[in-house]
Amino acid sequence: MSKAVIAGYVRSPFHFAGKGALTRVRPDDLAATVIRGLLEKTGVRPDDIEDLALGCAFPEGEQGLNVARLIGMIVGLPQTVAGATINRFCGSSMQAIHMAAGAIAMGSGQAFICAGIESMTRVPMMGFNPMPNPALAEKAKGAYMSMGETAENVAKKYKISRKEQEEFAVRSHRLATAARQAGKFTDEIIPIPAGKENVTSDGCIREETSMEALAGLKPAFDEKGTVTAGTSSPLTDGASACLVTSEDYAKANGLKVLARVRSSAVVGCAPEIMGIGPVAATERALKRAGLTLKDIDIVELNEAFSSQSIACMRDLKLDLDKTNIDGGAIALGHPLGATGARITGKAAALLKRESKQFALATQCIGGGQGIATVLEAA
Amino acid sequence: MTIAKACVVGAGVMGSGIAAQIANAGVPVLLLDIVPKAAPGTTGDRSAIARGAIDKLLKADPAPLMSRAAARLITPGNIEDDLAQLSDVDWIVEAIIERVDLKQDLYRKLEGKRKAGSIVSSNTSTIPLSHLVAGLPDGFARDFCITHFFNPPRYMRLLEVVGGPKTRPEAIQEISAFGDVMLGKAIVHAKDTPGFVANRIGVYWMQAAVTAALDLGLTVEQADAIMGRPIGAPKTGIFGLLDLVGLDLMPHVDKSMAASLPPDDPYVKLRRDWPLLSKMIADGYTGRKGKGGFYRLNTEGGQRIKESIDLTTGTYAPSTTARLESADAAKGGLKALVSHKDKGGQYAWSVLSRLLTYAASLVPQIADNIVELDQAMKTGFNFKRGPFEMIDQMGTAWFAERLRAEKLAVPALLENAAKAGGFYKVDGGRLNYFGPDGAYHPVERAEGVLLLSDIKLSAKPILRNGSASLWDIGDGVACLEFHSKMNALDPDSLALIKQALDHVGKKMKALVIHNEAENFSVGANVGLALFAANVALWPMIDDLIGTGQAAMKAMKYAPFPVVAAPSGMALGGGCETVLHSGAVQAHAETYIGLVEVGVGVVPGWGGCKEMLVRNQPGPKDPKGPMPPVAAAFETISLAKVAKSAAEAKELRFLRATDNITMNRDRLLADAKARALKMLDDGYQPPKPPELRLPGPTGRTGLNLAVHGFALQGKALPHDVVVSDALAEVLSGGKTDFTEVVNEDHVTKLERAAFMKLVKTEGTLARMEHMLTTGKPLRN
Repeated sequence: MSKAVIAGYVRSPFHFAGKGALTRVRPDDLAATVIRGLLEKTGVRPDDIEDLALGCAFPEGEQGLNVARLIGMIVGLPQTVAGATINRFCGSSMQAIHMAAGAIAMGSGQAFICAGIESMTRVPMMGFNPMPNPALAEKAKGAYMSMGETAENVAKKYKISRKEQEEFAVRSHRLATAARQAGKFTDEIIPIPAGKENVTSDGCIREETSMEALAGLKPAFDEKGTVTAGTSSPLTDGASACLVTSEDYAKANGLKVLARVRSSAVVGCAPEIMGIGPVAATERALKRAGLTLKDIDIVELNEAFSSQSIACMRDLKLDLDKTNIDGGAIALGHPLGATGARITGKAAALLKRESKQFALATQCIGGGQGIATVLEAA
Repeated sequence: MTIAKACVVGAGVMGSGIAAQIANAGVPVLLLDIVPKAAPGTTGDRSAIARGAIDKLLKADPAPLMSRAAARLITPGNIEDDLAQLSDVDWIVEAIIERVDLKQDLYRKLEGKRKAGSIVSSNTSTIPLSHLVAGLPDGFARDFCITHFFNPPRYMRLLEVVGGPKTRPEAIQEISAFGDVMLGKAIVHAKDTPGFVANRIGVYWMQAAVTAALDLGLTVEQADAIMGRPIGAPKTGIFGLLDLVGLDLMPHVDKSMAASLPPDDPYVKLRRDWPLLSKMIADGYTGRKGKGGFYRLNTEGGQRIKESIDLTTGTYAPSTTARLESADAAKGGLKALVSHKDKGGQYAWSVLSRLLTYAASLVPQIADNIVELDQAMKTGFNFKRGPFEMIDQMGTAWFAERLRAEKLAVPALLENAAKAGGFYKVDGGRLNYFGPDGAYHPVERAEGVLLLSDIKLSAKPILRNGSASLWDIGDGVACLEFHSKMNALDPDSLALIKQALDHVGKKMKALVIHNEAENFSVGANVGLALFAANVALWPMIDDLIGTGQAAMKAMKYAPFPVVAAPSGMALGGGCETVLHSGAVQAHAETYIGLVEVGVGVVPGWGGCKEMLVRNQPGPKDPKGPMPPVAAAFETISLAKVAKSAAEAKELRFLRATDNITMNRDRLLADAKARALKMLDDGYQPPKPPELRLPGPTGRTGLNLAVHGFALQGKALPHDVVVSDALAEVLSGGKTDFTEVVNEDHVTKLERAAFMKLVKTEGTLARMEHMLTTGKPLRN
């Protein structure tokens, strides 16, 4: 059985939806630029690629049809490279990596582009035609619940104070700021042409944020609640891509391997507290890897909200010093479909950069799910 | 020459406001100011002042701009780098600081840069034109005039135009025509005398009102209770008005007036130093922009207590409501007010006797005739009537007699008008005014101005009931006029719509819906609905909805053009009337919206249905059944009101093909012309639209969104109830998007939802609150 490796990771700069530098960039063009960057950086032979698996949480409008196939054409991939758009909401592009790893294990291909895209400017969350099933909405309250409301539920259930949430958000911005200043993102960011401008750096990080600034915000989802815009990941435009190959292929072609995929898992949970999804997913993936959290050196935990991140860390007893060391989604942004490939690629890159053994990438998923990937040094 | 591009120099409040109004008219305008003094070594934005002014325009309230698109027509610049851009500018307005030397420096700079034959005007309010052109070349003087706007330029209708002896008559004509048609202004041709027309009379009024209040020992509340609505002035009265414009402005205005008028002018004799005013200004009591003025809000101790100043001691005490019999007597007319024996009556007489004789003594010195003076006070100081209309209302002979009886001077013009029988007279169905030559002359309306009030002078309505009338406005076109209280629509209004459609169908060619009240219509008569609900007369309410729906549908599908010509508020049923017209000719200052949720119901006369129809996706809009529903839901559930006709287009209350008229006085003529053009083009009523609506899934989707707003505290409990009813209507009830439904399907749902809501306590509470306080209840 062939092992899958992450042999490359890039992303676009992440910018605020609606007001950032990427609002006028079509999502298919945005993903295509990032994928071209990945090809250039890794030097992989396009003819060897089996499939372009692209995660997207709202695959309609400019992200509609089978946008993965269309992006392949924009990039100019050989016709033989297939394309599939994959939707598991926020877990979409991590799911793409899992599918590639599975295919490699089965001998169904040796190289895959696992990418993600979301323009939350150009395709709104909930899509253009939200048409919930009235009977389900009546029966299952959480089925269509807004993410903000679930974040409040988690904060209440775990008694996470507003101050705690704000401390976590400030940390995220502080780490992201430090990482950017140290040039730690230059390696992963592919510049994006946007009109006359060339966008080369992230737009969501608030370098000047402080406890005082966050304390001044009004609750965003529940007037009596604790979750604010400052302790939520922002609506974001962005794309990401990883090159996933078999270990043999990588070696034979001299690709720079970042990490090996050790195990993966997905699991469902109560939709009203979808933010705790990473707990069960992590436990499952670790078990499959034959590891415990003590073995993990690097954690990328998606920061959908401060409240759910803190809840997961508490339940899993995660070490804060190992988690999101270059900042997380609260500071960087969370372009839904693109986040999974970002945090998995980032975890792999950090494993290499920090010369560590094991890494975990995990995230919560709207509707009540968790997804996790365990990586090991190759 | 037409004015296709303009430039305003001076980006202060007035200059930027003028630029905004030019942009509102759709004309590109360059806004220039000086280059700011940048810190040494920095290369700042050299047009920062003008750019900052545009930012302020976008934030100011009330909005100087009618749309964001208008803001894009204003190009910022500076007078050092951008004068070359004047080569294709047809009109340059100078609105810089009131100093002759600086203004003349600027004018000299403009020479050689500006387009040959372009017009230059100054917005000065205090400097005579003769001083401004003194020593400048004849070529400049020929192209120069004064255009004096009032603040804020979008909302104040007056524009005084002053020419000098050398000014080309065509230049005056062009500016007047542009100001009238494009900027929507009431043009008053003033002569080159101090304060021109409106300020000359208005400042005298303010001075007289203050002086008399002090002499007669009135409190500020008493003075304002008389000097506001009872005399036909804005409701702020005199001291409230001073608070509004800023106390610190007054010494400047007074000084400038006193310095430029001859010593024997009644103003100079009337004015006096007023130590209390100087002390208040020195203490920071400059009015609403400062710590307060004659009134202030005392927030010490956590409460907000309105206080007024004592005019003799200068100390504040909680305000009291002035109870003056004379203020009530004023409802019987000005004569009853000034004849009243109480303090208020004496006060009114003291001020008006001086003000009106002063005005009568100034014709033709400051303007050619009394019409100009009346127009100036009505549109520059928002008086309900001009001075001569006020005299006529009291009785010209009576007024002159009382002046004589009190040994007060009677100006010759007044004396003669009293003998002739008044300042205005209707003769042969036309309004005439008394000229300085002692003869009556017809009041001339500009080409393209048609007033219902003029038509009424010589005609009787074709149809009439207590709430509406139908008039013949010529060429086979009828005008339907609402005239109930606040033009609230009731069964009489609906009956007349029906009768008007029948009459026009049989005997005429087209129908215009228009009136000259402040507001087109504030909507259906809520009082009537509440009355019926309180005694459980449900069939009566149901019938009112059904009749309204039938009237609106008949309007929409009339076999002849129906053109709505709204101005002011067109809310609720007023909005639905506009929505169901074949075309709309809207005044630029039209405030339109479906505000029914404010009284706890949904639009019931086809408003929901029409917003669904209007939000059907265009080629560039997202497809699928939800976007039109979501857009209509957002507009109606938030009771969005467009703050201009331009914004009404953005919100789709008006169609892209509907037209906008800037000058209210031109609205009826434009609407009539539109109706005749539609006839010429072979008018066909619209084809009934077919709708595909999402059904229950749409209602669920919208309710999920409302649930989120409720959590956030943005939607209150009864909002959730009303929103659900609205969601049910807009999503089409039990339909499915595979089915095609017609308009009647939606109006039936409207009717059912209305009836369901009107029976809820929350809705009745909203209606009652609206009727008693005039404000929506948040429950």
